[in-house]
Amino acid sequence: MEKNNSISKLQELAYELKIRDIMTTRVTTVLPTQNIKDLRKIMHDSSISGTPVMENGKLIGIISIEDFIRSLVRGENNKTVQDIMTHHVETLCADEPVIHAVAKFEKFGYGRFPIVERKTGELAGIITKSDIIKGMLRKLEIDYREEEIHRYRASHLFEDVVADHINLTLEYNVQGQNFHHAGEASSRLKKTLQRMGLPLEIVRRAAIASYEIEMNIVIYTNGGKLTASLLPGILSITAVDKGPGIPDIQQAMQPGFSTATTTIREMGFGAGMGLPNVKKYTDDMQITSTLGKGTEIITKIYLKDQNAQT
Amino acid sequence: MTIEDIKKILKAETLTGEKLLDREVKRVCASDLMSDVLSFTLEDALLLTGLTNIQTIYTVEMADLLAVCFVRGKKPDERTIQLARTKNIPILTTNLSMFESCGLLFAEGFIDSFKKEP
Amino acid sequence: MLKLKDIIPELELKPASQNFDSNHEVTGGYASDLLSDVIANAEKNYLWITLQTHENIIAVAVLKELAGIILINDREPDPNTLSKAEKEGIALLLTPLPAFEVVGRLYQMGLRGL
Repeated sequence: MEKNNSISKLQELAYELKIRDIMTTRVTTVLPTQNIKDLRKIMHDSSISGTPVMENGKLIGIISIEDFIRSLVRGENNKTVQDIMTHHVETLCADEPVIHAVAKFEKFGYGRFPIVERKTGELAGIITKSDIIKGMLRKLEIDYREEEIHRYRASHLFEDVVADHINLTLEYNVQGQNFHHAGEASSRLKKTLQRMGLPLEIVRRAAIASYEIEMNIVIYTNGGKLTASLLPGILSITAVDKGPGIPDIQQAMQPGFSTATTTIREMGFGAGMGLPNVKKYTDDMQITSTLGKGTEIITKIYLKDQNAQT
Repeated sequence: MTIEDIKKILKAETLTGEKLLDREVKRVCASDLMSDVLSFTLEDALLLTGLTNIQTIYTVEMADLLAVCFVRGKKPDERTIQLARTKNIPILTTNLSMFESCGLLFAEGFIDSFKKEP
Repeated sequence: MLKLKDIIPELELKPASQNFDSNHEVTGGYASDLLSDVIANAEKNYLWITLQTHENIIAVAVLKELAGIILINDREPDPNTLSKAEKEGIALLLTPLPAFEVVGRLYQMGLRGL
């Protein structure tokens, strides 16, 4: 997200935003029969430099301060709006994306375009370049604020919650011996942590640790549970299985030690890096294992250090 | 350099992620053991591997790698390609061996994605 | 023709096994961590680059008459692997470098693989 530079963000917005979102809806209009002397006053009072000309609710032309000045230069002063207005009006529809308006401003060099409803053809508003700039800035500001709030929430996820005990737990079932689905739990966990807005490095470490644990459950047991708990300042990943247990934990922690079969090795696992990897990517790791009963792994990743770095 | 450049150097074919080939790549990881990839690889690397099962894609996802290129003309099953597609992970496949692929990319200035510490 | 004794100093490889012929010729390289892949595709007198440390790698090297094995990423061979290498006269060479870089350098020395 942050890699997006502001230009591409603006381009994106120009496609995303509709003209309706940013146009001016309160439009001052004039009648074709009005004397152009009134026109100056109307434009001055509403501080606008151009306005649509309406007859019986229909848009029949557009008149700008430039038309007015040209008329004065020609020494005309008794003319009506319809004498000096531009008859052929370029319009845009309210449901078009803002990028269409941008293109049209560029193409025609006009100061404003009346906006009509696509279905009824009724005048819906008017758009100027300044509306576009203001509208885009407003949207950027809202997006930015939402992003800020989102980030704030994530970094303070548990500091702002008032309770005697807080624990958000995500639980995933892992099927043993099922290589078809191995990795799914960690994939889902990673996505969830990302959505919660945890720092990317924390998410990555948690994902790698949980994936190694998940593969161990799949390879060596008949199934188990993978749990991620968010505690104040700590992301804890734990796994419980009812597998055969680990005879010598110290040995199992040695990089390169593995009891995996050739088949497992041919699947890209069992090179004896699983548990060492879990240790490497977490801040704390405890294993308890009982032969014939099962294994429990509790890991912790501290969120605080990461915050201090950023 | 981009994934597209790697595709050209290795005369590879795209199995999915054709639109993502403009991603910048500097580092390459060559391995068939996924724990090793998870352990020693910097993010934003391209993975060269002969292992075509679904775990390769999960590994790329977990380690935040950019893309995977299978060597020796290996192609994964449709389910694996499908998973990569949903996760926006481009898959290439080259007929070259791992040895030749590494040699060519190394000669073009790509560097190893190896890192000791997490 | 490249020989083991040309490659070992150039890549600063550390021999783990001592019983091998450093004049053994090396006709090509093969990088893989999948034993079945090596069995199927590696050629005689090829140098094998892997991070597998299991004793089975020696059996594969003997079967395929490989020139030797380079263990990457600072991997130490299992004790059984080392004793088998000594017994079979297979060169078991160690390096802290990762596979991509080892192969890249071998390639620059002129070694090719299939």
